[in-house]
Amino acid sequence: MNEITITIDGKVIQTQEGEYILNAARANGIFIPAICYLSRCSPTLACRICLVEADGKQVYACNAKAKNGMEIKTTTPNILAERRAIMEVYDVNHPLECGVCDQSGECELQNYTLEVGVDSQTYSIKDTHKPVQDWGLIHYDPSLCIMCERCITVCEDMIGDAALSTVARGSDPIEAEFKETMPKDAYAMWNKLNKSLIAPNGGDTLDCTNCGECSAVCPVGALVSSDYQYTSNAWEHQQIPATCAHCSAGCQISYDIKHTSIANPEPKIYRVKNEWNYVSLCGAGRYGYDFENRDVVKHPEAFDAAVAAFQKADTIAFTSTITNEEALILQKLKEKLGLRLVNNEALAFKNFLSDYSTISGKTLYSGDLKQVHDADFVVSIGSALKTDNPNARFAMNNALSMNKGSGLYFHPISDPVICNMSKNVTQIQHSPMMEEAVLYLMLDLFGDKSAMPSALVEYLSSFHSVKTVTVEETVDEKVTETVTKMVLNEESGVEEEVTEEVTKTVKKKVSKEVEVDENALFGLLNAPAGFVDTLTKYLAKKEKFALMVGPDLYTHPNATNCARLVALIEKYTQFSVTMIPNLANTLGVAMICDLDGERGNYTIGYNTAGDFTLSALGDGDLDMPSLNQQEGTLTSIDKRVNPTNVALPYGGYVLNDIANAFGLNTTLTVEYTAHLPVDKGFKAVDFDALPNHYTNSGEEVRGYVLENLSVSVTGDESVEPFDASKAINEKVIYLANPVLQFSAFTARAHQLPSSGGLYVAQTAMETNGWSEGDCVRVKTSHGEVNTIVIADGKIEGDIAYLPTFDTTLNSESLFDGYRFAAVSIQKV
Amino acid sequence: MHHEEVFTNRNVTESSAYYYVDIESYPTTGWDKFKQVVRRTFSGELFIGLWVVMREMIKFDIHTVQYPKEKLPLGPRYRAVHKLLRLWESGYERCIGCGLCEKICISDCIRMDTRIDENSRKEVTEYSINLGRCIFCGYCAEVCPELAIVHGPRYENASEQRAHFVIKDDMLTPLDLLKAGAQEEYPGFGAIIPGSDDAVKKTPLAY
Amino acid sequence: MDVAFIIETIVKIVVILLIFSALAGLGTYFERKVLAFMQRRLGPMHVGPFGLLQIAADGIKLFTKEDIIPQNVVKPIFKIAPVITAATAFMASAAIPFWPQFTAFGYTVHPIVADINVGILYVLGVMAIGLYGPLLGGMASANKWSLISAARSAAIFISYEVITGLSLLAPLMMVGSLSLIDINNYQAGGIENWIVWSQPVAFILFWIAAFAETGRTPFHLVANDHEIIDGFGTEYSGMRWGLFFIGEYANMFFISFVIAIIFLGGFGDGTLAGAIQLILKVAFFFFFFLWTRAAWPDIRPDQLMWLCWKVLMPIAVINVVVTGIVMMF
Repeated sequence: MNEITITIDGKVIQTQEGEYILNAARANGIFIPAICYLSRCSPTLACRICLVEADGKQVYACNAKAKNGMEIKTTTPNILAERRAIMEVYDVNHPLECGVCDQSGECELQNYTLEVGVDSQTYSIKDTHKPVQDWGLIHYDPSLCIMCERCITVCEDMIGDAALSTVARGSDPIEAEFKETMPKDAYAMWNKLNKSLIAPNGGDTLDCTNCGECSAVCPVGALVSSDYQYTSNAWEHQQIPATCAHCSAGCQISYDIKHTSIANPEPKIYRVKNEWNYVSLCGAGRYGYDFENRDVVKHPEAFDAAVAAFQKADTIAFTSTITNEEALILQKLKEKLGLRLVNNEALAFKNFLSDYSTISGKTLYSGDLKQVHDADFVVSIGSALKTDNPNARFAMNNALSMNKGSGLYFHPISDPVICNMSKNVTQIQHSPMMEEAVLYLMLDLFGDKSAMPSALVEYLSSFHSVKTVTVEETVDEKVTETVTKMVLNEESGVEEEVTEEVTKTVKKKVSKEVEVDENALFGLLNAPAGFVDTLTKYLAKKEKFALMVGPDLYTHPNATNCARLVALIEKYTQFSVTMIPNLANTLGVAMICDLDGERGNYTIGYNTAGDFTLSALGDGDLDMPSLNQQEGTLTSIDKRVNPTNVALPYGGYVLNDIANAFGLNTTLTVEYTAHLPVDKGFKAVDFDALPNHYTNSGEEVRGYVLENLSVSVTGDESVEPFDASKAINEKVIYLANPVLQFSAFTARAHQLPSSGGLYVAQTAMETNGWSEGDCVRVKTSHGEVNTIVIADGKIEGDIAYLPTFDTTLNSESLFDGYRFAAVSIQKV
Repeated sequence: MHHEEVFTNRNVTESSAYYYVDIESYPTTGWDKFKQVVRRTFSGELFIGLWVVMREMIKFDIHTVQYPKEKLPLGPRYRAVHKLLRLWESGYERCIGCGLCEKICISDCIRMDTRIDENSRKEVTEYSINLGRCIFCGYCAEVCPELAIVHGPRYENASEQRAHFVIKDDMLTPLDLLKAGAQEEYPGFGAIIPGSDDAVKKTPLAY
Repeated sequence: MDVAFIIETIVKIVVILLIFSALAGLGTYFERKVLAFMQRRLGPMHVGPFGLLQIAADGIKLFTKEDIIPQNVVKPIFKIAPVITAATAFMASAAIPFWPQFTAFGYTVHPIVADINVGILYVLGVMAIGLYGPLLGGMASANKWSLISAARSAAIFISYEVITGLSLLAPLMMVGSLSLIDINNYQAGGIENWIVWSQPVAFILFWIAAFAETGRTPFHLVANDHEIIDGFGTEYSGMRWGLFFIGEYANMFFISFVIAIIFLGGFGDGTLAGAIQLILKVAFFFFFFLWTRAAWPDIRPDQLMWLCWKVLMPIAVINVVVTGIVMMF
């Protein structure tokens, strides 16, 4: 990409070659109206209001690329006439219900109608009856819809559900006189608008992962959260900038708060908003906001009991849903009182990282989700991507759809959401415990064999053999025929029939015997037939490679070997490597705390069970604030230390009070922000100095990025061979959460289900003869649990999974660290 | 000491009746002061004062309004305690919960609770005005797009608590009064200006 | 001293006390009404016909109201101060002939408690003691406004004593007696004998000084509501405050009597017509107190002092000298 210079309205600006004019203008603070365009997604060309004149020619700023020396005018008399007509058309039959509309005050239709100055209407058409539709968490009012298709675009290009599309509106044709009299783009826009409506793919209900991003991007009140509807007005909210506390993506959000009611002045979170141009939320982030620890008051006796318990204790067990500052307090308490810190999930990640650094020489992985967004070949290994970190999934989908990318998804559980992202994505459904083989395959396929250690090259070559096979080859043949097809008339926006003669190349099949290299790893990993050809097709013209590895590897019995293999992949292939931390702040905890493996005799549990329990879930011996009730920082998958703020009041004791009782003497928890360990990559920056916003050009100005420090390496790059016999081929269950859930905190949110069960794919339910709600006994070598069967439409195959968000199930006790376990499931 | 103040010219033209009052400067020497006293003492101003009040007493033109037996008529733009009106035909509340009054209120004393009701309409479940804060500016009535909140003429608000006038049920026209046709429309703040139809641009409405 | 004289004197004292206490109340009613009419108002309207019983209502109120003695006041002095004001006002009336002597049921009544030969001296002297009421009350009240009021009253009363004294000197020189009966009789010949004709300057000066002595507008500085609340009366409540009030109004009546007797011929030759004339004259002066209150603004304390020492006193002295010279030749 080359730096180029363009001129917009006389202002000379620098931008990248190939950048859209609209983005270049936005990055430089020049206003061009645009309704249907979404940054990071493909231009829709629905609204046509971003018309500009580039070098004397009218173009759409959202899809015209900037060329060096381009002269751009954002307004001409003709463009102003078009914009005025477009806004008038949008206002045709738009219900005058701004008074009750939830979007009022932040509505782009309102804004642009005023911006353009529409004070009278020239156009009219008979309205059609469009009843409102309830899509569960989302409410659709087609009367308000202006058909910008942003919902469709974001769902397709960013989220990857592609759950929405347009359907026919069934309205009268536009009166002929308008075609002659009105501006052309406005007519074309109207023509299209007048024909379509938004509808869920496949019926009346929305079949998707319920991220709600469509309602976030909706410029009008057509798509709104059903729960939020009519409860408040946009301008009444105080927006608390925060960081989502549920998964490691660390999305920037704002908690919109307001008093609960006239009678109750306590603030309440009414909704979560996001800067949808730059960050997309999942459903848990959007709907799982009210997980606060409510109505807590200080009970001095409970506090004294807590202090006594700390004096008595030899272990603190905790989860990673805490801030960096709290992690540092725990670490300091450990040093002061000689306690053990137990957090198995963070410990596994910490060990994985340290094993990784023995070869990579860095404390942290090299990649982040931005690199995944920018990549054109994305691989995910060892993660149930859509639920472990939805943003990683969005990044992968965005890369596939925007960069003409392709991807591989290695996971034992078949995931239709990932597979339907693009036709250029393939899932390799390997058996559990075969993750090492996957990593070896990566090295084999993409590794620079000339640089790799010879032992490794030798080991890899042991999987290859030459085999003679009969293949069907296709030969091209030219044929000429006459076809009739529909062509979109650019000017009118109407499809027209055109007949033309076409010379086509027809493929003809020929059988042939050839010698091929057979890779035994494909077989071991259950790669689909013809995978070699698929891969060759996928890899054509690919430049940027991104690999995401997930928690399956960290908890793998052979995690050390996995970590070293990942480091080798990073070193000898073009892949950037991003590791998906398990929970909201697993990375931060792993960096800050010295963790121990085993619990001692007396354990203090923080958000987890212990002999004395501190809990933000409201069920402990001493209450703690939840993450929307405290300020602090969270470390995200992007290695970024993001600040989060207090959205709701909290009246009880905090961890810092306990630390102060032991002489640490710090007034505020956030005073620890500046003392986070610099030798682990943190920076000595005060909490109040941390920014939390995006710039107009989409640059993320949030907190700071952890420094990826160098560590000394021995040069030993040896890795153990994998043992194919360890592959678990019997019936297994997996430890994962369903869509919309991450932890006990999401389960507390009133819009999300609070109890879980055994999640089973639809087909597996049929083969086993189970139906929803059946009670089953799930038994592994570690224990058993009775629960109900819940159908999950977003997985396929035989492997069921148990969630962690419902703590009553105590799912972890059935597993030996590794996320898969052999199981027997009986209906009871 | 005498200086001319510069005023912003607000509708004051050359020919207007406004003029500066000529204030004589204060005497400085004792002799001047003495002369001033003598002049004032014998100029009869004191007796003019006496005459004026005596004249008024003799004329006996009493201006007292004997409230509460007598009450002054109220102007149409009088702004007393708020009322919430209902639609004449259906009896529905006019308030749609748009929140504009809440937003425009300069003393921030209006609050409302809204929800979605069984008919998928926005329902105002509770509405309150903190009369301790309200300055009766009339903005709420003026901004109301539905003529729902108005300033009524009721200025006699003695009660044990301010809250007695400001909950929704107190402000809303009771249904029985509405049916009896006793709901009053107020021509003052926020009402439709006579002839406002002429100011509206005609747009095509073919259907 | 015979018993009849003592009984007669006691009866006179009681009658005067009752009449003037009642008149003080009635005075407030008239003041309110007159001020109201002059200001186009109605005044008291709701208690009794035309609000006449307002006096009774006020009296009941004053008598039944709690007598608050604030914490930090000098209690004995605070309690006694209003009594001084009321008592001195009524004591002064002892030497005033309210009415010519008349015969009722064969008994000659002298409507004066004590016809002493230094009558006017006594009246002025006892009235001057009335200063102690506001002065002590204001100083004892532990209130800064009251204190300012006390200081003002001391300054004003003492200053204007000089004017009253000097202005009366000239008429007294002419009459040659300090007895108010003698002064009255000096003018008994008719309207042309009134001292006001021979001593107009003294009349004006005394009249002005009367406003200061009674503390009425435009010299209402000792309790100027908009500056110092109710001045010395601020901390008082109930009937103690009422005593201040009665004292003030009684003073207004007595000073009106004094002016009428000394300058305007009093009851003249002692006939009924003369007696009624006296009542009318007194009524006029009382009315004038109310009239000025409706019409004139208050002046500043410094202006009041300036007026006293630099204007009125020199004029009074000149008046005495001129009178003396005229009498010599």
